[in-house]
Amino acid sequence: MREFFEKLGKIDRRIIYLIVAIGVITPILFKARLPIKPLPEVRQAFDYIESLPESSAVLISIDYDASSMPELQPMLYALLRHVFRKNLRVIMLGHWPLGVPLGQIALEDVAKEMGKKYGVDYCFLGYRPGIAAVMLNLGKEIRSVFASDYKYTPLDSLPMMRNIHNYNDIALLIGLEAGSVGDFWVQFAQARFNQKIILGSTAVITPDIYPYLQAGQIVGLIGGLRGAADYETLVNTPGPASIGMYSQTVVHILVVALIILGNVGYFVLRRRK
Amino acid sequence: MKREIPLAITFISGFLLIVALFIPHKPFGTLQETFNDWYIIVSGFTMILGIDSLLLHNWNKVKRRKSDWPYALALIMSFFLTFLWGLYSIVYEPTHNPFAPTASFLKYFYKSIFVPLQATMFALLAFFIASAAYRAFRAREINSTLLLFSAALVMLGRVPEGEQAAPYVFGIISLLFAVYFFIEASLLTAGFLKYLYIALGVLLLAAIYPVGKLLLAYLPKIADWIMNIPQLAAKRGILIGVALGGIAMSLRIIVGIERTYLK
Repeated sequence: MREFFEKLGKIDRRIIYLIVAIGVITPILFKARLPIKPLPEVRQAFDYIESLPESSAVLISIDYDASSMPELQPMLYALLRHVFRKNLRVIMLGHWPLGVPLGQIALEDVAKEMGKKYGVDYCFLGYRPGIAAVMLNLGKEIRSVFASDYKYTPLDSLPMMRNIHNYNDIALLIGLEAGSVGDFWVQFAQARFNQKIILGSTAVITPDIYPYLQAGQIVGLIGGLRGAADYETLVNTPGPASIGMYSQTVVHILVVALIILGNVGYFVLRRRK
Repeated sequence: MKREIPLAITFISGFLLIVALFIPHKPFGTLQETFNDWYIIVSGFTMILGIDSLLLHNWNKVKRRKSDWPYALALIMSFFLTFLWGLYSIVYEPTHNPFAPTASFLKYFYKSIFVPLQATMFALLAFFIASAAYRAFRAREINSTLLLFSAALVMLGRVPEGEQAAPYVFGIISLLFAVYFFIEASLLTAGFLKYLYIALGVLLLAAIYPVGKLLLAYLPKIADWIMNIPQLAAKRGILIGVALGGIAMSLRIIVGIERTYLK
């Protein structure tokens, strides 16, 4: 029996990989879903968007790439559905050049689904280098950084952009973050221009963003796959995040169980020595 | 002069930018905007430097047949394939924009090759983290034990229905430990240690029900409390420290005490 306890601390890593793979794949294959009760900070973000008057401008910043796609792409789809359903106007840009096309793909998908028109209901600005400098210049005049959209159409030729010049004309900024760009948004757009901000982030960096939420520097926080699933629930369009949440729950339980089993083995071995 | 001129440029630029923040009138008010424009242009050129360094590094690997040189060759070939197709797109794509994801080949390249590759690389982390957590996350001392417990509580408390699973996880683990304590006790002759093991085993078995009920009722709240109070306090301390460190380092660079950037 003692040997059994000792073996608990020496499970082969291939067995762990197999268990994790089964735990991740099975719920996705069966499209299983768990009942989701949105977190307060996600509801806060949802309520803020709900409170915006029709045709307000919303700036969405794509600050992630494919490595964070499973968490942030469903979040973007849910946010876009909500924003378009509210008849808000969307301006999209990005600070991660390799991820910017992900934003555009989502924007075009949802715009098509909701019957929105380019240049009237939404536009895509693309990428410019120099994160802090871009953010500061956006506070003065958007055209000083983006004279045209990604198709080289001058901004003044887009009907929705004619009266949008800087943060004063933007009701809300939504940053989807996989790194530290969210900190820059808070430091430059919020602290200097008092821009209202909602941050959506990967689970890894969500704890870094909590201080901004508690200090009132951001008006909502959508953290990780859980946040994305919460938002999908709030906009009543369950999607990949809601399905992925089952896998994440299973894997969390597995990891906790494995950690504790590893410690049982460690404890038994240490007692023997 | 090789050192003095860059030091003078750094001092003047840094000083002017600080002044511009406090005096929003001409000529200082527009200075920051001008500097920002320059910064954006310089940032663009740093990409060219990056590409140059990347290609040279990998080309040297291929030339000297260093280990894993075929990967370096694959990188160079992929770079030029994408670059040349980008040039082609400038001429033939309707948007004349090689970086538009609507440019057919680049869109295909991006969606079908780049995105799955990058996502796969990151997805592997789930397996490594599970294995590493199992191997390395040990309750060796009081600090690591506290970390372990709070991590377990947050991991279970922040997922939907985590509170439903937590009592079972706790129950099975308690049962395992209790069985272990009883086995150890049975192997010992009568004495303090034997009774201690029996007491610990009984205590664990008795704790299963009340602790399970407690987890069921309060786990999400406990997880939220950990995230909002101790986690936030530590994070805020780190943030303030980082900000003060950043200010100190910036001042050292502006006044020329810190010169490592010149090397």
